[in-house]
Amino acid sequence: MNITLLQGILVSIFALVAGIDFWLEGFYWFRPMIVSTVVGFLLGDLTLGIIAGGLTELTFAGLTPVGGTQPPNPVLAGIMTVVIAHTTGHNAATAIGLALPFSILMQYIMLFYYSAFSGFTKKLDVYAANADVKKFARLVLLPTVIVGITYFVITFLAVYGAQEPMKQFVNSFPAWLNHGLNIAGGILPAVGFGLLLKNMFKVKYTAYLLIGFTAAGFITFGNLMPVAVIGVALALIEFYHAREKDETDKKMRAIEELALTGGGEEDGI
Amino acid sequence: MESKAETPKKILTKKDITMLAIRSLYNQAAFNYQRMQADGYTLAILPMLKKVYGEDKEGLAKAMTANLAFINTNNYAVPFIEGLTASLEESHESREMIDTIRVSLFGPLAGIGDAITWFTILPITAGITASFAKEGSILGPLVFFLVYIGMFLMRIPIAHLGYNAGTKAITQINENMGPISHAANVLGVTVIGGLIASYVQITVLTKIHIASGHNLSIQTSFFDRIFPNILALSYTFFLYWLLKKKNVSPIMVIVITFVLALVLSWLGVL
Repeated sequence: MNITLLQGILVSIFALVAGIDFWLEGFYWFRPMIVSTVVGFLLGDLTLGIIAGGLTELTFAGLTPVGGTQPPNPVLAGIMTVVIAHTTGHNAATAIGLALPFSILMQYIMLFYYSAFSGFTKKLDVYAANADVKKFARLVLLPTVIVGITYFVITFLAVYGAQEPMKQFVNSFPAWLNHGLNIAGGILPAVGFGLLLKNMFKVKYTAYLLIGFTAAGFITFGNLMPVAVIGVALALIEFYHAREKDETDKKMRAIEELALTGGGEEDGI
Repeated sequence: MESKAETPKKILTKKDITMLAIRSLYNQAAFNYQRMQADGYTLAILPMLKKVYGEDKEGLAKAMTANLAFINTNNYAVPFIEGLTASLEESHESREMIDTIRVSLFGPLAGIGDAITWFTILPITAGITASFAKEGSILGPLVFFLVYIGMFLMRIPIAHLGYNAGTKAITQINENMGPISHAANVLGVTVIGGLIASYVQITVLTKIHIASGHNLSIQTSFFDRIFPNILALSYTFFLYWLLKKKNVSPIMVIVITFVLALVLSWLGVL
């Protein structure tokens, strides 16, 4: 299926909004769950958008912009997964791998901006020193505007401009490559979870990982709610336990101090 | 001297603090490597500073310049820091004290904020809504959307909490920081375990030929019998090992996954 000029423009306008939302981390419209759904709707294939959204969201679960790092771009990944699946007729799992180059391209553009926007700081210092509130506000908002326009342009080129060569390129793939991309799409969420574990996992948490893993494997229920509830229960146990331990530690320390100072006074006498 | 003590202390209204929370959206407006969120942070608190300093242009300039020092924290922790420093600016505490408190707070709050928002709430929300989305149900994106509207609104009570608690809050946070981040970690790790079992799909296609017409599928008669999803868990831990112990970059890990999937599918294993 082809993408019309109007669809190309609408998707690019949405990319501008989602891109600014990602820049500011405001309402999380930049997450693939929302991005793919909206793009699917704009292309007239809402169901494809929702399915692609769920899949891409999981792949990107661990790719977070924590601490000022810039992950592969979730907005472009969400957009291009749907667009590629829609134009080539492949399923979402295969398309997600083909969308990744666009996602990584946008990641590098944002990394460049992180460095480039340092150039504004000198001027901002001057405005601040003069308490020039209006000029200050305008210059702080300029990077956000630049980022928004960049999202619009890149998305328009990728979605509308490159659709024909993209389609020919993807349709020339042999069967084993399509199968391989589909398989890779199914394994990719492991990257996200590996990254989450890198940030959260310690050997002392092994038990909880196993409980969650086993519960999800054996509870036949449509979603992860039971595992989340088990997780909350375990977290509550641990919270009260840790707080009690803190309080006991504090009391022990107080008693020790009292004993020590008391001892000191006795020595004095 | 007496009259100075009698001047009304409260200049900021409840609405000012709520606006502070909403304006925390500007926090990353001019994000850059030199001082990260500082420019956006200063823009967010600008109306508050203007109100507190009034005609005192010099004081405003000093406050703006001081706030332009490096800051990088979690975006849901920002309203708290803003509210807290607003209460300090309002009672005209010394510049040094306000700056010290802001600088000493943003690091620890970034840690606890990221653990709760990015590593606990996001995987849980993603995991649950993805199970709806997988079936093509609009409930997936809809619930996701509503959760994050709620998360945004949370910024308002967080800002008021910072403003009302003042410096007292710091000791309270320090006391509960350990247990809260420990509990958040427990919840997060449990859910990640569930996510691995539910969403990482690795199926071995290889069959062992026994006799004519009799094939033994490695997946169904071996892996699925011992422990379902054991391959998914093993592979995720292999990636964890690469990321954590070998310091391999996320992009490289994605490339490795693709190469492995393509080669193994070409060989007919997957």
